[in-house]
Amino acid sequence: MSVINAVTCPICGCLCDDIEVTVVENEVVKVKNGCAVCEAKYLGYKSKHRIRQPLIRKDGELVPTSMKEAVHRAGEILANAKYPILYGWSSTNSEAQRIGVELAEEVGGVLDNTAVVCHGPSLMGTQEAGIPTSTLGQIRHRADLIIYWGCDPWSAHPRHLERYTSFTEGRFEDSEWKSYINKVKAAAGRKKLLSAQRVAKKKPEVTVAESEAFNKPPETLQKEGRKLIVIDVRKSMTAEMADYFIQVEPNKDYELMQAMRAMVKDEDLDIDQVAGVPMEYLKEVVDTLVNCKFGVVFFGMGLTQSAGKFRNIEVAISLIRDLNLRTKFVIMPMRGHFNVSGANIVFAWQSGYSFGIDFSLGYPRYNPGETTSMDVLLRGESDAALVVASDPVATFPKKAVQHLVKHPLIVIDPHMNPTAMLGDVVFPSAFVGIEVEGTAYRMDTVPLPLKKVVEPPEGVMSDEEILKKILEEVRTIKAKNTKNRMGGA
Amino acid sequence: MIVLTPLGKFRFPVHAECINPDVFKEKSVAEIASLSVWEGNRKKKLGDLFKIEEVSDETLGITINGDVSKVRRVGQGMKAGEIVINGNAGMHLGEKMAGGKITVNGNAGGWTGSSMKKGLIEIHGDASDYLASPYRGSTDGMKGGRIVVDGNVGSDSGCYLRGGVIIVRGKAGPFLGFHISKGVIYVEKSAGNRLGASMTGGKIVVSGAIDELMPTFTIAGVKAKVKIDETFKAQGPFYVFLGDLAEKGNGKLFVSKNSNSHLKQYEKFL
Amino acid sequence: MAEILIENGFVFDPLNGINGERMDIAIKNGKIVRSVNTQKAKKINAAGLTVMPGGVDVHTHVAGHEVNTGRMIRPEDHVKDVVRKTGLTRSGVGYSIPTTFVTGYRYSKMGYTTVMNPSMAPLGAKHTHEELNDIPMLDKATFPLLGDWWFVLENLQKGDLEGCARHVAWMMETTKGYAIKIVNPGGLESWGFGRNVHSIDDVVPNFDITPRDIMCGLAKVNKMLNLPHTIHLHTNNLGIPGNYVTTLETMKALESVATDGKPVAHITHVQFSSFAGDNWGNLRSGAEEISKYINNHSHMTLDMGQIIFSDTTTMTADGPFEFTLYQLSGRKWVNSDVETETSGGIIPMHYKRKSAVNATQWSIGLELALLIKDPWKIFMTTDHPNAGPFFEYPKILAWLTSKKARLATLAKCHKKAQKKSLLPSINRELSLYELAVVTRAGQAKALGLKGKGHLGVGADADVAIYNINPETLDIAKKYKTARKAFGSAVYTIKDGQVVVKDGEIVQTVDGRTMWLDIETAEEIEIGEEMKRKFKQYWTVEYENYPVFDHYVKVPEAITVKASV
Repeated sequence: MSVINAVTCPICGCLCDDIEVTVVENEVVKVKNGCAVCEAKYLGYKSKHRIRQPLIRKDGELVPTSMKEAVHRAGEILANAKYPILYGWSSTNSEAQRIGVELAEEVGGVLDNTAVVCHGPSLMGTQEAGIPTSTLGQIRHRADLIIYWGCDPWSAHPRHLERYTSFTEGRFEDSEWKSYINKVKAAAGRKKLLSAQRVAKKKPEVTVAESEAFNKPPETLQKEGRKLIVIDVRKSMTAEMADYFIQVEPNKDYELMQAMRAMVKDEDLDIDQVAGVPMEYLKEVVDTLVNCKFGVVFFGMGLTQSAGKFRNIEVAISLIRDLNLRTKFVIMPMRGHFNVSGANIVFAWQSGYSFGIDFSLGYPRYNPGETTSMDVLLRGESDAALVVASDPVATFPKKAVQHLVKHPLIVIDPHMNPTAMLGDVVFPSAFVGIEVEGTAYRMDTVPLPLKKVVEPPEGVMSDEEILKKILEEVRTIKAKNTKNRMGGA
Repeated sequence: MIVLTPLGKFRFPVHAECINPDVFKEKSVAEIASLSVWEGNRKKKLGDLFKIEEVSDETLGITINGDVSKVRRVGQGMKAGEIVINGNAGMHLGEKMAGGKITVNGNAGGWTGSSMKKGLIEIHGDASDYLASPYRGSTDGMKGGRIVVDGNVGSDSGCYLRGGVIIVRGKAGPFLGFHISKGVIYVEKSAGNRLGASMTGGKIVVSGAIDELMPTFTIAGVKAKVKIDETFKAQGPFYVFLGDLAEKGNGKLFVSKNSNSHLKQYEKFL
Repeated sequence: MAEILIENGFVFDPLNGINGERMDIAIKNGKIVRSVNTQKAKKINAAGLTVMPGGVDVHTHVAGHEVNTGRMIRPEDHVKDVVRKTGLTRSGVGYSIPTTFVTGYRYSKMGYTTVMNPSMAPLGAKHTHEELNDIPMLDKATFPLLGDWWFVLENLQKGDLEGCARHVAWMMETTKGYAIKIVNPGGLESWGFGRNVHSIDDVVPNFDITPRDIMCGLAKVNKMLNLPHTIHLHTNNLGIPGNYVTTLETMKALESVATDGKPVAHITHVQFSSFAGDNWGNLRSGAEEISKYINNHSHMTLDMGQIIFSDTTTMTADGPFEFTLYQLSGRKWVNSDVETETSGGIIPMHYKRKSAVNATQWSIGLELALLIKDPWKIFMTTDHPNAGPFFEYPKILAWLTSKKARLATLAKCHKKAQKKSLLPSINRELSLYELAVVTRAGQAKALGLKGKGHLGVGADADVAIYNINPETLDIAKKYKTARKAFGSAVYTIKDGQVVVKDGEIVQTVDGRTMWLDIETAEEIEIGEEMKRKFKQYWTVEYENYPVFDHYVKVPEAITVKASV
């Protein structure tokens, strides 16, 4: 039995690196410090959906084959393709991502990662407006106003508040944990009172529903210490914990942020409300923003995938820039996959661009809508694909998936996920962060080492090794093709 | 004048910056046929993809007969001459154009006339998104020239416009005229939301309905007519809005009074 | 390994006093040797050509979080300069923030063989090293940002120099760094809450320490640790009109640390710190004042930070300064503060001849280089990409060696700047010998790189051969020809291998990453106290913080014996 400390969890953008894992006979038996999702992965990665050996489609069926044959078939597909897509990359290490760039360049294809269905708009927004940001520790030490906009960390990044924001102890700010507990107790007390009043057939003083209808900013927004505001279209779990929840009309975040920008600049607006928020309350909110010591906005799919998309991020960043003229403010995207940030970073240092990179002309080109994998698929332009560390069949629109599976599809994944099930060549890979070590980048771009805590199943290789083999094979095939074309033997 | 006819249906994206009157000038058909283009990741010759004929009429022109919706960057940076496309055109048509004329008897793809400097583009069908808008991260909007679209335009058109005129006879999608600083955009039918967002100058005129006005605009008056360019004035009456206040902008939005009864509430501020 | 004999070239090797002598250079096993077997050796005929040690760049932002974020936000910069894949080289993009492969190839084509990446936030060190690994053709090193690190601030505030030295030594090894980098000391911590310091005696909020304390303290620590380079300093008030006063105060403050006539500090991109006047309207050059001081003191080295008229990207750890640029220009702005350690900012910048301010800045850089008499005190850089992209270096070489070139450019500048410029009254033109000092020998010496910047026996066989015949080409008159020659080496040799011929890559090599292995008197113990503080200060575990050995592809550990 061995207990391994300081393990970096390979699930979400929090990249918690304080996980303690107990291993007995090459199996993880206990996980300490991790959230429920972390524990589920470490204890459940050895599922029956695990692929144990390479597969190749023969006569419509996926049958086991040798690594050599699978590599050769994959190499042939890519070397001969006129416009292949190489997609995924977010759940693997930077070492594999580097090979990905080299391979995409070698085969003249489109290199893209899961940002295209997630925070691609955020990356595009920064290309228009820049981004005032910081590492997560700055939030812990200094932030007295924390805003979650269009995201729900309680569900998607469970330890975010306890590790980085409201419930952490910083050098200059304390945790709000105690006051949250008191609030929960008070709410529980109120509920008891209400139910007692109903039993006594007394008219309740105020219904729960009423108190939720556009509520006035509470006094607690004026307090010393950390404040939490949640802005969303529905009251999420995180919103339940907030000092103030602002319910914004769906698809109206852009208007709200632009109005706030004008108000930060002391402009008067001719309106009573924006995005469903009454102006008098909005004025108080803007005052809170302008008067804090250090504010931060975290945002997610609520902004990137609602009407406006990258312009929502652009205006959010512009709002933060404007706020910096009056106080200190930063903004940060809540990256989903544990190493999607890394994929963007690695792609950028090697090619200049972070996603949607088209190598077909011999040099990297980037233009979302033109060179992004989703759009290439929707226009039916690609003729082959390699998918690694992601599941586009499950996440892409139907029309894109139809085109994806119509053409040769190479899949590298630990699991027989929907994409693998429709693949033509399938490689089993080892889990990065459990069976393979490497580097990953946190949502705030801090690099962290991933540990190998157990051995992968017999014969199962890492993404990096598989990709290297495919790259070598592609080069061999291309060299042969060139020789043949030149009239050689 | 050179006539190009696609030899078949295009399957992969084709990059053909060479289809440009400046490039074809003083070249023989054989020379034109051997110009480089890309089809997917394969380098090809123009003659591999198109039938190329010369029609002697002394014009510096190119006519394309057929669907070239997958052919990109036609007329990019051209300085003179004419291109007529009898079919649908691909992305980046006339990007950074500096003179001459492009006519499309069909629809046009995204980024048509991107960062245009001078010249004339006429689309008789629809134009897609990003009409005249600059590349990612750039604020070099269309500087001059004229674009006329008979049909509809998609989203994010006329972004960062800093000169010239864009006329849309159909409808416009969202974010029309985003961050415009100078120049005129006219839409005959309706315009999508976030109209003129972040504008700092220039004019956007809409004769049809708009969904909703950005909260950062303020009413300045009502105008009976507004000049679009030397050839015409749009008939109002128009509500005149100033903004975008978030940018402390001095842009003007002219929105048809009769088609937008939901904007009546602004009259109380007059 | 192959033997090479470079025959008959005009050799400029200032560290060994060789000034254009026609001689042979012999290479064996990657080093300069006295002689080789003339039968077996590959011969390079360098008759009529200039032979210099490979270029050494003391300050260029080429790798890490800051640089990469710049890449990510500027697609419009990349499309201006695309680089195709070849059989031998990878594809990429260039212009102001080249991708890693292109960075290596382009420097190599100009005859450069060693570069220093001057800004590395320790928390992101792994990222910096991953990128350095992907820069081919060059030897590299990187400097951790320590001037606002909480452990430094706390130890210096307590007056515990030894404690500070031990922490610095630990950090240098942990991040595999090469030198102590200090940026706007005190200002970066203040920026954590949106503030800044405005003089070297301002007190840093929450820390009860001044920039003066930080700079002098770290300069002393540097001496105690016997580090090969001095502290590498970006001054307070950078980019503010009138800041030459702060720069003078800074240099005066450091006089007390200098006890043996050797330099104790290096002020980088000093052009940005040499402004006189008190607002953008009356901005003028402070070069005369700075040069006068430098000419009379020997405890400082400098590098230019020369402006190139071009669209480029500024990126520094000086968060508050980048914010000021944002307020002035309104362009897209990145800010990136790093917990416990430092800050950073990025903003695109277009330097124009017709901008009176930019043109004055352009003049200042050259005035400094020409008015400072000793070329061993001021080196040629653009603080790439802050003042301009590195591939424009040949332009600067032309300005330094040709008054004609300078005046030709000045004539196109804003009239106001023309009037204020000192250049018309400066006749000095650097010789090829002096050029070799300011582009390689001087840098290597200031950096303490024993095997670089010279062609003496035992040096690394890093050689650059340019198509300049000093006997027949008047580089002051024919500056355009000289410029072209410097932009495209006839040969670049790296570790004894020919990697560039006639300006094209003929072989790719990896290059090494140099870092300091500091031996203190006692083994540095990381006690429980430190580990506890670690957990409080950072959001990563102590165990995951270091740059492990496998992060450096081709390491070269340089042993340093500390006096602590």
